[in-house]
Amino acid sequence: MRHARHRSAKLTVAIIAAASLLLLASDNPPDRIPSYVAFTPETIAAASRGDAFRGMLLAKRCDHCHGAEGFSAEAYIPNLVGIDKLAIWKQLEDFRSHKRQSRAMGPIADSLSPRDVSDVVAYYAKLPAFADPQDNRIFPQSRPDLGHAATASRLVSFGDGERGIPPCQACHGPVAYRPGVPSLATQNAVYVLNQLEAFAGQTRANDINMPMRTIAALLTDDERHAIAEYYGSGLGLEPASSTVPK
Amino acid sequence: MPFPIVLRAKPIVNWRKLRTILLTVLVLALIPATRFYQIDVPLLRFLQGSRHVDPLALHLSGEFVENNLGTQQEPDGSVTVRMIAQQYLFVPHCILVPAGVPVHLRITSADAVHSLTFNGTDYAVKVLPGTISEAQLQFPRPGEYQTPCREFCGAGHYAMRSELKVVPREQFPALRPEERGGCAPR
Repeated sequence: MRHARHRSAKLTVAIIAAASLLLLASDNPPDRIPSYVAFTPETIAAASRGDAFRGMLLAKRCDHCHGAEGFSAEAYIPNLVGIDKLAIWKQLEDFRSHKRQSRAMGPIADSLSPRDVSDVVAYYAKLPAFADPQDNRIFPQSRPDLGHAATASRLVSFGDGERGIPPCQACHGPVAYRPGVPSLATQNAVYVLNQLEAFAGQTRANDINMPMRTIAALLTDDERHAIAEYYGSGLGLEPASSTVPK
Repeated sequence: MPFPIVLRAKPIVNWRKLRTILLTVLVLALIPATRFYQIDVPLLRFLQGSRHVDPLALHLSGEFVENNLGTQQEPDGSVTVRMIAQQYLFVPHCILVPAGVPVHLRITSADAVHSLTFNGTDYAVKVLPGTISEAQLQFPRPGEYQTPCREFCGAGHYAMRSELKVVPREQFPALRPEERGGCAPR
């Protein structure tokens, strides 16, 4: 009996060793996974279960950089107001799993539990965006020049069919949203530009099925600046028809 | 006695048996029909093999993880192209294939119904979420083909197109597994 058990244990070890050798020997690289988040109904339910009041208490820590009203004082720090809860939830989960790298957000996200994440997200989903002259927010920034405004309006509203660039507003609103996609209407220009450049240079690679890495790489440097200035100046809040210069 | 009444032990037509046979035939005939209309029946999915994929978790495991997308050379000289259609992009955005070689296309959708077409050819591949669409293509001459989506898929549909580059067979580079996607010069 003991002998048999011994033999089966040996056999198991041998099989595991052989399997791992086979895995190592195969020339296929390991799967490159952009993010462990998949927007299944269970994921969406887990992300929506948060307690906004507890989230508000936890978010006092976020206020230092992201502002007490969700508007940051520095242009490279994102505004968190007006963004869908799934979008913030996904980024926090990616920071937690180190799929998105940040020297500031990495350690902070590491210290959060899954429950903390959904609570904070619930709070920011309820935070209204309102004008406040006392606030030291940097949003909105100065308007782009006419050339950039025209380029950005065209790309945001229509994209570029010749090059296969879809319009920004088809996923980032206000025309349509997809799960986990942030609204850009109240985002800072420098932050948008930094993210576009990071996606184009593959230093940020946590977009599921790589839509943003593809689109950011198709855009020219000038177009990336134009889109960033467009959103940073608050033009994304207005209907596109009023912003297209004659 | 004008008319002898004979009670048969067995009726001529066994309706019960006939009904069973007809029902069986009907169910068997429905199998290809469900395949055509893409009705998701777990038993059929099991019988059909591995054509079913989870559209929400393509990036996590399986055939459509991002480093497996693009053109893969097969030992017999043909190539396999794997793509994802999503709102409003085909990924990878540019595909490189050799001319005059069978191209085995495997494509699936991450969200809505799309249709991958190749301008200047008759090829059109319907792409549905949850299943892998397969097609055998061949491009005899080198050239560049625009590949727009021809199934309305949402607000950015009209800008959804990618590119297929067909290069002469001798110019087609030997691809390492990590450089399958894209058409950038190597």
